[in-house]
Amino acid sequence: MLELTNVEVIYSDVILAVKGISLNVPDGKCVTLLGGNGAGKSTTLKAISNVVKTEDGRVTSGTISFGGTRIDNEDPAAVVKGGIIHVMEGRRVLRHLTVEQNLVVGGHMASSLRDVRARLDEIYSRIGRLAALKDRTSGYLSGGEQQLLVIGRAMMAKPKLIMIDEPSLGLAPLMVDEVFALLKSLKAAGVTLLIVEQNTRVALDIADYGYVMENGRIVLEGAASDLRSNEDVREFYLGLNLEGERKSYRDIKHYRRRKRWLG
Amino acid sequence: MIDFLNYLINGALVGLLYALVAMGFIVIYRASKVFNFAQGELVVFGGFIVWWMVLAMGMPLAVGLPLAFVAAAVFGLLIERIFFSRLVGESVFAMVMVTIGLLILIRGLVLVLFGAQVRPFPIIFPLKPVIFGDILIPRSLLFGAILTIIVGLGLSWFFNRTRPGLRMTAVAEDHQVAMSLGISVKRSIAFAWILGALLSTLGAIIYLSGKSLSFLASDIGLAALPVALLAGFESIAGVLLAGLIVGIIQGLVTAYVDPAVGGAVGTVFPFVIMLFILFVRPTGMFGWKTIERV
Repeated sequence: MLELTNVEVIYSDVILAVKGISLNVPDGKCVTLLGGNGAGKSTTLKAISNVVKTEDGRVTSGTISFGGTRIDNEDPAAVVKGGIIHVMEGRRVLRHLTVEQNLVVGGHMASSLRDVRARLDEIYSRIGRLAALKDRTSGYLSGGEQQLLVIGRAMMAKPKLIMIDEPSLGLAPLMVDEVFALLKSLKAAGVTLLIVEQNTRVALDIADYGYVMENGRIVLEGAASDLRSNEDVREFYLGLNLEGERKSYRDIKHYRRRKRWLG
Repeated sequence: MIDFLNYLINGALVGLLYALVAMGFIVIYRASKVFNFAQGELVVFGGFIVWWMVLAMGMPLAVGLPLAFVAAAVFGLLIERIFFSRLVGESVFAMVMVTIGLLILIRGLVLVLFGAQVRPFPIIFPLKPVIFGDILIPRSLLFGAILTIIVGLGLSWFFNRTRPGLRMTAVAEDHQVAMSLGISVKRSIAFAWILGALLSTLGAIIYLSGKSLSFLASDIGLAALPVALLAGFESIAGVLLAGLIVGIIQGLVTAYVDPAVGGAVGTVFPFVIMLFILFVRPTGMFGWKTIERV
């Protein structure tokens, strides 16, 4: 469904942030992009939705196609119309609007007001917490509620594919569980998901397939079950050794430093 | 007492006229985060279009006025297409500099297109004032105030209750998020400039009806600035209340303080209020406060 082939992304004609990555997100599946800070995960999502152009970035080579249609450097509105929605990192609610106004903005492409109402009812029944908060100014919601809101807002567009950037960032463990339970229900409903995460454990728990990025390149890929048992992933992203014991942070830092040095 | 009421009511009506022009500032600021220094010049340009349609071309008001609004809308769109569509993503400073350039350009354009002479503005509203007992109210200001309230409440409803309006409000909040939701930021900014030009032309019609038309009319852009600041640059409905406050204070100061000190305090006083607002509450009475979660 979504296919990236040898995609390169450059910011300001100078900084090469993504260096020829290829990945595939099949229909109805959940794919995760893992990796540390600065690996190029968020830039990859921004390149697909093409909001990267607001940061003076662009796809300089390779192709991005969705459902067989090229979408690289396409107008962001056309990308959303084509069925891809991008939930950006950092719970970017429209802070001065109410919860319901945020949701209505998400469904702005609906054909009629009745359609918007039907979508709102669907979101409220799926995320009951938002129904109770619908008249609240979204800037004053808790972090978890804001995360649920931005996912709900994305769902208002009735997308075929939701790309979500760091959904667990800065949330309490219970809230992370609630957010991922929602994502699982979306997956069960047939929505395709591309999740960027640093929380490898929760990401591999929901994903069917995963890619690991470092320094703008994909360095590892495989079925989620294989990645979960992969020695490197366990060691560097789950913080476990082969016996399942937690490694000390100093060991990991030492290895990373060594790896960066050798790389 | 009657004098006081006269000053109060006329001050309030003038304040609502300022509010109408301030709405032009606010609509453009919300969409593009640009403070348009050329707002007063847009009023002058709108005024000259009306003069050209109605007096120079001899069209009846019923034809000339709608055509003037169409021409103003096209002019607003052209400004966005030629200058601001290329500046999306550039610094606010660059955009503000462009609005200063626009101010000079519009002045030159008016000179080239309509000449340097002072022109008579058509009488849109009857000159005979409305009289309630001992209170005299200029008809243009009365009708203008009613129109301003209708337009202000209409725009407030549009931006908060309708889907196209909420799209524009989303653009006002965060360009990148709006784009990620499939909203065309450029289209929203273009619409804001069209709306800004239309509001300016309406302001010109109310302000200039039966008066003479020259570049001095652009001063109303400056007079509307304290109103926009008092309201906060995001609130459309708030600008009505801010207009009333500034207009009434200006009217009363002009009536009671000016004679005692030899004049001009009434003109300056709104700017004193503006400075005070900037010190005490930079976001204005109804502007968006920065919401930070801690």
